[in-house]
Amino acid sequence: MGGDPTGDGSERVAMVVDEDRCIGIGQCELLEPDVFRLGDEDAISRVVDGADLPRARALELVDRCPSGAISIADA
Amino acid sequence: MTTIERSAVRPDLADPATYDAGIPHEAFATLRATPGLVRNPDGPWGSGFWSVTRLDDLVAVSRDTTTFSSAVGHIQIYDVDEDVRDARASMIDLDPPIHTRLRRLVSSAFTPKHVQDYVGDVRRRIGDRLDALEAAGGGDWVAEVAAPIPIGVICALMGVPESDHDLMIEMTDHLVEGTSSAELDPGAYGNTKPLRELPFNSPAAFGVEEYARRARRDRLAEPRDDLLTQLAVAEVDGERLSETEYARFFQLMIFAGNETTRSAMAHLATHLMDHADEFDRVRADGDLLDGAVEEVVRHASPILYFRRTAMADTVLAGTEVAAGDKVVMWYASANFDEAHFADPLAFDVGRPRVPGHVAFGGGGAHFCLGASLARIELAELVAEVLRRGLRLRPAGEVETVSSNFVNGVARLPVEVSR
Repeated sequence: MGGDPTGDGSERVAMVVDEDRCIGIGQCELLEPDVFRLGDEDAISRVVDGADLPRARALELVDRCPSGAISIADA
Repeated sequence: MTTIERSAVRPDLADPATYDAGIPHEAFATLRATPGLVRNPDGPWGSGFWSVTRLDDLVAVSRDTTTFSSAVGHIQIYDVDEDVRDARASMIDLDPPIHTRLRRLVSSAFTPKHVQDYVGDVRRRIGDRLDALEAAGGGDWVAEVAAPIPIGVICALMGVPESDHDLMIEMTDHLVEGTSSAELDPGAYGNTKPLRELPFNSPAAFGVEEYARRARRDRLAEPRDDLLTQLAVAEVDGERLSETEYARFFQLMIFAGNETTRSAMAHLATHLMDHADEFDRVRADGDLLDGAVEEVVRHASPILYFRRTAMADTVLAGTEVAAGDKVVMWYASANFDEAHFADPLAFDVGRPRVPGHVAFGGGGAHFCLGASLARIELAELVAEVLRRGLRLRPAGEVETVSSNFVNGVARLPVEVSR
């Protein structure tokens, strides 16, 4: 949480999906349908252009991805 | 260390009889409280293994498919002969990236969004089975409800006709017998192969395989709008699945889509009887339905364990694990880890959702493909039982499945009334 200037998890952050790791469980799309979309054919999750989430929620999404494919875009 | 190991390996976790009275909670609690990993000794089934019983350790193993392989050795406790491993393997016995390429052939059919398409079929099957059970005033909950619903749903999803569902139930029942201590008839189901070449060392695997080979030939000759056709024509790296690969895939989906949800539905009946007050909470507050489903799945832990094999020397929970060692993830223990679940043996529909249980796996490439499907089947069944106001009462002896691998229920007689 070192990169969180406000310290309360409300700062908005972008997310990335590692497409090689994603196995299409769809937990992310279920939790945040405006941020993650699964491909109709390949069921691989992709981040909607320009979508972001409060850091606290983003961390929860990272945690709840069963395949460990989601991370926060900043480093 | 000798004393700790000696006390902790009793009962032997590889022995199917250890699970005859359900999950051995006391033994697992002792193992979780023991620092490091505990070594289960060698047995007639092969060399010993490290037992991973705490949730954090299990998740670490599950997510690290590079260090802990599914493709080397075997994903069950017993060893498989090197020369037959490829013939027995399905994607569950493979590591990424091959595993993931295979999985993607079907993954789009099992997403939370897509499984909503099956809700109508699920509801119809649940309605029919509960009508019949109610009309008879009760019966064997396993035979009447828990077995036919999941097999019906997965078969319909794949494109197996209704007339073959009973055959699928029968064959998957016999498949799992390969994980019991029963002697199997090697010639059953027309089997001509040595049992060591078949999944679960079970002749029923041959029957399922033959069925799948026929299904593939039928679908290639006459394509239909179903998953069996999709799988027959799909290409991985420019090639279609071979007949054997197709048969293994079919068998995996039939087994995993059926046996596990059946087990959870069977355990559901026990919870409906033992914790009627918790289900009254769900009836009063529909928002608790999903929590009830997760609590049923956690308690059921339908798959007791999966094994991995260490690819390199490593340290896990402070224990040195050598390359080649067997590492067994006991979901049935981690789901009751007191470090994560307050009062772990209690049945509480209002439990926090994070951290979740690991009954669908600890995460990583092999996380249960059918988790979303299982969830809607269970949610619809709970909702319909509550909507009808059904009351279940025990009506005879419960028989469990003898296995060190599945937490199955063979028979569960109940009386049903409103």
